[in-house]
Order: sequence, then C-alpha cells, then structure tokens
Amino acid sequence: MSTLLEINNLHAGIGEKEILKGLNLVIRKGEVHAIMGRNGSGKSTLSAIIAGNPNYTITEGSITFMGQDLLKMSPEERSWAGIFLGFQYPVEIPGVTNVNFMKTAVNEHRKQKGLPPLTAAEYLKMMREKMAFVEMDPSFSSRGVNVGFSGGEKKRNEVFQMAMLSPMLAILDETDSGLDVDALRIVANGVNRLKTKDNAFVVITHYQRLLDYIVPDIVHVLYKGRIVKTAGKELAAEVEKHGYEEFEK
Amino acid sequence: MEGLKYIPDKKFECNVELTGAEKFYVWDGVSKELPCKETEALQCNVSFSVPTRMKELSYRADIAAAAQEAIVITPQTDRLTQIIFVRDTLSAVSSRVRINCRESGEYNIVLCYHTNGNHEYSTEEQMEIIVSGGAKLDLVIMQNEGALSNHNTDFKIRVEKDSHLSMNLITLHAGKVSNKIHTLLSESGGQCNLNGLYLADGKQVIDTKITLLHDAPECASAQMFKGILSGEAKSKFEGTIVVTPKGQKTEAYQANNNLLTSESARASSDPRLVIYADDVKCSHGSTCGSVGDEEMFYMRSRGISEAEARILQQQAFAGAVLDKVSTPELRERISRLVERRLRGEDIVCAGCGKRCC
Repeated sequence: MSTLLEINNLHAGIGEKEILKGLNLVIRKGEVHAIMGRNGSGKSTLSAIIAGNPNYTITEGSITFMGQDLLKMSPEERSWAGIFLGFQYPVEIPGVTNVNFMKTAVNEHRKQKGLPPLTAAEYLKMMREKMAFVEMDPSFSSRGVNVGFSGGEKKRNEVFQMAMLSPMLAILDETDSGLDVDALRIVANGVNRLKTKDNAFVVITHYQRLLDYIVPDIVHVLYKGRIVKTAGKELAAEVEKHGYEEFEK
Repeated sequence: MEGLKYIPDKKFECNVELTGAEKFYVWDGVSKELPCKETEALQCNVSFSVPTRMKELSYRADIAAAAQEAIVITPQTDRLTQIIFVRDTLSAVSSRVRINCRESGEYNIVLCYHTNGNHEYSTEEQMEIIVSGGAKLDLVIMQNEGALSNHNTDFKIRVEKDSHLSMNLITLHAGKVSNKIHTLLSESGGQCNLNGLYLADGKQVIDTKITLLHDAPECASAQMFKGILSGEAKSKFEGTIVVTPKGQKTEAYQANNNLLTSESARASSDPRLVIYADDVKCSHGSTCGSVGDEEMFYMRSRGISEAEARILQQQAFAGAVLDKVSTPELRERISRLVERRLRGEDIVCAGCGKRCC
C-alpha cells in the first residue's frame, strides 16, 4: 500500500514548551488509525501541526504528505492537497453563514483543480446530499458557522464539511467528546461511508467507545509526546481495561 | 481594500433601476426638480437644570439655525424617493436640505452622494429631518465620493410623538468625512435607530459625532456604528446619549465597533451616557480590534485562502449594519457595493456602467 503521510522524529511545541518529543508515524492509503492517550500527551498538538496551526513551532523532524514537504505548506494549501482536520472545538464565526463558508471552501478547492465554481443549484444539490449523510437539517445552512449549535451539532457539522471536501487524509480530533450515543452513531456512519481504499482516517480519542463504531486497523498509544505502543484494534480494548499506566514506564 | 480605483464619468446619470423609485438630482447643491424654500429652522434645542445637594447641574444644547434656503424633500408613501447629490463643477458648495415627514404612513428615502471626478470638492451640508404625526421614515444614505473630497454634514433630527426614524448611513468611500448628528426625541413614543457603516483606506479620515437627546418619556433609541479601516485610515467616533429629567422609561443603546485590518490604521471610540432620569434602560459599548486568529485558522484549514477569509470576516462584520436596511433590493445592492469595496474593485452598481453609489 502506498504511503500518504510520513512523520519522522517530530519535535514540536508552543513557545519554549516541547510537547512532541521525537514522534514517528506512517499512514498508508486505505488505513484507519486510532491515536489514544491521556490529556496532555500531545494528541491535539499532533493534529494541529498536521493541519498547519501557526501557533505551534517545529524544532526538529519532518512531515511528508504524498511526497510533498508538508511543513512548507500554508493551512489552505494543506487543505487543497487533501488534509482535513475535524476540530475538537469547532470555531464559531458569527455573521458568516454555513452556506457561504462551505461554498467558498468548495469553490476554492475547485479553483485549485482548474474547475469552474459550482452554480448555486449544483452547490445546493451537493450540500443537501452531504447533509443527509450526517442527518443535519438543511436549515442549518443559513445560520452562522457553528453559532448557537449544540456540541453534537458542531461535530456533525465537522463531518458534513469533511464530506463536502472529500479529503485524502482526515484527522478527527476527539470528535466523540460531548456526543450522546445517537450522535456518535451518526458521526461514525458518516465516516464509514466516506472510507475508500484511497483515503485514510486518523481518529484521536480517549475512549474505546468511538472505536466500536469506527473500527481501526492500527492503534497507537501516545505518551509524553512519543508513540510508545502500536498494535491492532485489540490494543484499544486493552487500554480500556487496564488504563494507560502500563505504558508509563 | 488596497488598490481601490475611482474613475467617475464626465457626464453623469444614474440609470440603476430601483423598483418604484422616483429620482431627483441635486447638482452642486442646486435642484431643478425639488422646491427650494425659505424654511424656518428646525427646533432642536434643549436646556434644563437639575438641583443636587452639591450644586446645580445644568445642560444646554444650543443648535445654531442655518440661514440659507433649503431644498425640501417631502416623500410619498407609495414610492421610494431617491435623491442623487452630484458634486460637479464648483469646488466648494454649502447647502441645506430639509426632509419633512409629517403625516402617518411609511416612507422610504435613499440619498446618494457622488463626486463627478476625483477633484478637491468641499461640501458643507445642513441636513434637517423632522418625523412627526406618527410617520415612519426609513432613510438610507450612501456616501460614495472621490478620494480628495471633503464632506461635512450637520444633521439635525427631530422625532416627535409616536414617530419612528431608522437611518442607515453608509460611508463607502470619500477623502474626509465628518458626520455630526444631533437628534432630539421630543415627545413620547418616539423611536430612533441610527446605524452606520464606514469603510476607509489610504489616508481617509472619517469622524462621527452623535448627540442623542431623550427629552420625553417612553422613547427608544438604538445606535450601531461599525468601521472597517485599512491602510493609514483614521476614524473617530464620539457618541453621547443624554436622558433629560423628562425621559423616564427611556430605552437607549449604543454600540461602536471597529475592525482594523492594517498596522497603521487607527480608530478611536468615545461612547458616553448622561442620564438625569431614574427609570431607564441604557447601555453602550465599543471595541477596536483585528481579525480573530482562531476563526482565521479554521477557515484556512477548510481551504479558504487568507485573503478570501479576511473578506468573509469583513463582510460578516459589515453585515450586522447592512441587515438593518429594510428594503431587500436596496440591501442587496449595497451589500454588493460593500463587497466590491472590500475587494478593492470599482464601486459600480450592477447594471450601471457608471460610477456612483
């Protein structure tokens, strides 16, 4: 299988504080990875760095995505190349409607591919289809981005956006936090339907709960900025049973 | 907003179709179509004193009356009245305009200001507005002038019993603008909403000074002024709400928010409340800030380029004021003009080959 993302000896953090301390990770097409770890182990830092959040500084190491040096690319260039981050805390943007936001995003992606912008009718058709994916009411489209959305609605909106952009590599940062069982099922179904042999998913989570719905091929345990154990899906059950203590040696 | 072009035509005629609109022109402060009359000065003065234990507090607002004849605008309820003010051959013009809305009914007026060429036009304007007899006036003012223009307007507004004024003041483009707005709510049941959006770049300067007097019980007022400043533009906002001892059950709100999109742009904001009544609901607030980093990263992570993300945010910021324009056709038209302005394109109405507002 061909490699999508390769991270080598990544050291990174915020300001003076080093959070990732020599992280290695390889993700190939068609794979679903789960990254588990305690609060503060570096899970969200890793996802933010892959998406290009400018608040983090990289001191050592490299990330290549489909043969390109990812660290040299702006956040929008990474999105165009096929990276998607589902935010743990989706940002509210008052005054910018969901429809305006996503239409702009989809058309910028099309522009990069040399395609003409979608007409209003084409966009609407696509939007309705993908909203049905995550059982989202079309009335959400005219509201401000994430403004007044419940926790579950925000996460569904993230999966909707992912469906609209059909990324090569999607990272879901604690998408399960704050979700009830129904919302969890809806979000997981959305992800499972988007899975193909050509794309890949990274699911970041504390708990096994989400992994009952989105079954990973590979599970990693992150501890103090390093991946300390990698195994198959049975590792998730082990973590759930014994906690993280046995990795903290 | 960089790279703004302003290329007016030599001969100017507004050919934009606004449904049901009746158009009038005022050239260099003179109109052939509208009556020009000796009109008595609009009474907007207020003075009172309040004895306190320490000393007597007194307040006095003395507004000098304009001496010259006024162009009189009397709108009709069944149509939109559009007045196009064009600055043409004279370098300095002083004019007086009176809007009379004295009978019950709903009225719509749009005033468009335009300079015919990028010359050093200077305009001194007296704008008197009276809304009475239960009238409801929706007034939209578009200021769209060349970068060398210098436009000072003194608004005197009087809103009487159970009458409503909603004014939307959109400063799209101009060299130096000063809007002084003196408003009196003189009888009970009056309502006055003053909204403004000012956009400035380069070395443009925009001053807004508002005095809003609540001199009667049970009146309501709301002010929302927003500015987007780039380049080395400067704006100054001074807004004072005065509630006199007669103004019980007043509701008055004021907000001024400024979005700075460059290092050198400056905005100052000075909101004030002066209250001499004890049963009122009043609030005010102001902000000067730049674009939020979190929002920016969120948009960029979805593939929206930095430039496009900024425009989306600025449009959203301006949208809160534009939403107050009640005629949908006009609101859409102005929104498109604002977008063109933010993108640094020619500020041209759709369907018109000429440059106006």
